[in-house]
Amino acid sequence: MLKGHLDMIVLAALSAAGSAHGYAVIEEIRRRSGGAFDLPEGTIYPALHRLEQAGLLKSNWMTADSGRRRRVYTLTKTGSRALAERRVVWKQFSDAIGGLLGGNRPRENPA
Amino acid sequence: MIQDYLDGISRELDFDRSLARCVRQEVEDHLWEAVAADPAGNLLEAQRRAVANFGDARVIAAQFAVLSLARQSRRAGVAAVLVVAGIFIAMKARVAWYAATQWAISDDLRAVGGLVGMVDRYAFLLAAIVGLAGWLYIRSREIPAALHPAYRRQLHRFFVLCCTAAAALAVSVVSDAVLTALNLRGTELSAASVVPIISMTIEIACVGMLVFHIYGIAQRAASAAALMKT
Repeated sequence: MLKGHLDMIVLAALSAAGSAHGYAVIEEIRRRSGGAFDLPEGTIYPALHRLEQAGLLKSNWMTADSGRRRRVYTLTKTGSRALAERRVVWKQFSDAIGGLLGGNRPRENPA
Repeated sequence: MIQDYLDGISRELDFDRSLARCVRQEVEDHLWEAVAADPAGNLLEAQRRAVANFGDARVIAAQFAVLSLARQSRRAGVAAVLVVAGIFIAMKARVAWYAATQWAISDDLRAVGGLVGMVDRYAFLLAAIVGLAGWLYIRSREIPAALHPAYRRQLHRFFVLCCTAAAALAVSVVSDAVLTALNLRGTELSAASVVPIISMTIEIACVGMLVFHIYGIAQRAASAAALMKT
């Protein structure tokens, strides 16, 4: 289930962290999810590359304090818009599931 | 231990050297940062844990292989459009040159020239339409995380479109070569002959470039499929 939402999770983590390299993105996901999303760390990198190819992220190389080359990712405007859209969809989905499981009627969609 | 892991992932991505180099640097930074953040003081144990948490190199490489294949396909789509445009410009330049120099096919070969010209026109038109369709098709496809059957089918369709465009362009260029030979027949090689010869060289190079891109797709598709098997 997590796999299907990996892009949204990465976008949300980057939105919260601002510019970040892969390791920091993973740390942000772990911290914000309370350790619930403990996915194989390597799977984040293909996702970052894919999102960059889709124009949702941009990256640049810098030199870290350690002297190693580091690739830092930032959300683009398109990425911010995509995240906002996914948040709305997720909220609707979450409300609907909450209504089903909790027995409460989900709020009517104004649209 | 980290170096072995990095060598492994570079080896798996050997079919795309620039991606392998870039991934290696990123993964190296990640692993050493994980080692530095490890609470246990034992360096070897910290390295082992960092590598284990990162995941199987082959699985990660397989995900990158899909990206590499998608990127190569999109490049081939752009190349198809640019190649069609390049050949069109070369053809037009040559025709303009013939008009300026008042070179024409001799009367006894005019019928042959007309037939070859017709083949040339329709082959080029087919290549332009199919090439453009291929480019529009592949750029509208979303890149998935894995090489699932639906994406394989999409890539196969695009591959067929690219091969069709390349074959049609090859027919068009061969026809152009015949027409150029007919135009140059009977004339002595001079500075004026340079323009048709250069324009033909450009056309042949353009088709070669497209074939090279198509070969790149086939090569990466094979590598991605091999990585997916395990």
